[in-house]
Amino acid sequence: MTIALEATESRRRRWPTITAWDLCRWALAISVTIVVVFPIWWMINVVFTEPGTPVSINPRLYPTSFAAGWDKVAMILRETGYLHAYYMSMAYALLTIAGVLLLGSMAAFEFALFEFPGKRPLFGLIMLSLMVPTAVTIIPTYLLTADLGWINTMQGLVAPGLASAFGLFLLVEFMKGLPKEMIEAARLDGARHFQIYWHVVLPLTRNAMVTLAILTFMKTWGNFIWPLIVLSNAEKYTVSQVVGLFNAPFSHQTVDVVMTANLLAAIPPLLFFLIFQRKIVEGIAMSGSKG
Amino acid sequence: MNSRHLPHYLMVLPFVALFAAFFLYPIVSGFYYSFHDWNAVTEPHFVGLANYERIVGSRDFSRAMWNLVTYVVITVPLGIAVAFGLALLVDSFSGFWSNLFRSVFFLPVVLPAFLAATIWRWMYAPNFGLVNMVLGWFGYPSVNFLNDTDTMLYSLIAVDIWVSAGFNMVILLAGLKNIPVDLYEAARLDGASRLQQVRHVTIPMLAPVLFFVMTYGLISALQVFDVPWLLTGSSFTNYGGRQNALLFPVMDMMGRAFGSVRFGQASAYGFILTALIIVVTAGMFGLRAMRRKA
Repeated sequence: MTIALEATESRRRRWPTITAWDLCRWALAISVTIVVVFPIWWMINVVFTEPGTPVSINPRLYPTSFAAGWDKVAMILRETGYLHAYYMSMAYALLTIAGVLLLGSMAAFEFALFEFPGKRPLFGLIMLSLMVPTAVTIIPTYLLTADLGWINTMQGLVAPGLASAFGLFLLVEFMKGLPKEMIEAARLDGARHFQIYWHVVLPLTRNAMVTLAILTFMKTWGNFIWPLIVLSNAEKYTVSQVVGLFNAPFSHQTVDVVMTANLLAAIPPLLFFLIFQRKIVEGIAMSGSKG
Repeated sequence: MNSRHLPHYLMVLPFVALFAAFFLYPIVSGFYYSFHDWNAVTEPHFVGLANYERIVGSRDFSRAMWNLVTYVVITVPLGIAVAFGLALLVDSFSGFWSNLFRSVFFLPVVLPAFLAATIWRWMYAPNFGLVNMVLGWFGYPSVNFLNDTDTMLYSLIAVDIWVSAGFNMVILLAGLKNIPVDLYEAARLDGASRLQQVRHVTIPMLAPVLFFVMTYGLISALQVFDVPWLLTGSSFTNYGGRQNALLFPVMDMMGRAFGSVRFGQASAYGFILTALIIVVTAGMFGLRAMRRKA
């Protein structure tokens, strides 16, 4: 009797009872997963299917031909300006990241760790700009860029995005937490101001810098509106604009070619996400909880 | 200002210079242009408030505003409700599954919005589009999602929630993790059901985060551009979709700037929109202050 009781007891421990609530949340989680993943999965399937197969025969629920997809990718890279657009978008993203990190960390170093006259109003003004919608600055910024003769140039694309108030905010919040004693110690050792920034503070800020770099990459790669107005010459188009061209109502492209163009644009951010998942999620959670 | 402080100023100078050039100057110059008629070629000439009057009196403006109000009133609360539901769902799992579902639900946020819009444009296509195919399996007639003026706005909202739910979910999840477990413990001892715990513990404790998500969501929804622009296959000369059913203020502004080359009017449009955003944001903060007092 006791043995039998013990047996059921241990079985119960090994097989936790499945409640209605468990069924519900699993069903819900799986349904949401399908809704979220399916459009992306569908995009991949459209690319990796023999062109011309009617939907009634193959509804594109799974990929059927790797070679067909590869041919389309090769065709697009060979025959359209896609490779150059890739180069433009990469250069845009990388230069923006470099600038945002450098300018942002230099300014954050001062705002977070030192006192100097005018610091508070200046920082306050920059933080206030976070509340100002881009809608109000975008047209005059375009006009300024045009005045400078920077339309259709890389500097016109990059320069207006470098003084990132969001980046400054993120770095200042992080640097405030650094131990002030280290800076004092470095100063007593005879380090100059810039050396303290470069050799002491920057290495300690690595984590926040990586997060900011990743978020900046996502934002510039996905930026649609600014390239759209600054680059009017089709030879200078970024990936976002080329994707727009493929999707234009009169582009006369078949859906599989359009989806190939889309897939190529999706690969860098998706790869980034796979590698830096935790950083991205933490960065967004942090900016949310502190905003 | 003495030389002791000089290194500090030198270090902030690059940032501040670019900030002044590409943020402060545009605001000031935009304000100036907004009172001028200007096509970027001839000299601007002063027109007083005419730009503002012309915008507010125009048909496109009222259409865009009407679309905007309908869109914002539905998409912001619904989007946050969905995100909150997803956050609770992910939070109900632990370890591997919790992380996996969080990452998967976040996936659309990683995709640039322009891509999400272009994928959905084809998903919505009338004949071979997947959404209509699925509707067909269940015996429903094909819907013209992006061309039927009664449906277009809802098609946009669906894409919008698909795109943004994961973003809000991650922020809400971080808030959920900060709620002390003892509070749930105490509620459970008091005999609160799971639903009552959400109602009386989770939501009040999450109020600051919900407020942030709500305000941020409102500000970005008021400036919606990429997704409706691409869903309607817009260009600077032809935008807004059939009967302007997906015309929004930023699209209207861009059209006035780069389609009809009226930079004065476009600048004025930016200020009208900003005023609207400030009023809405101030309203949100006012509501919060009132609720705190109550």
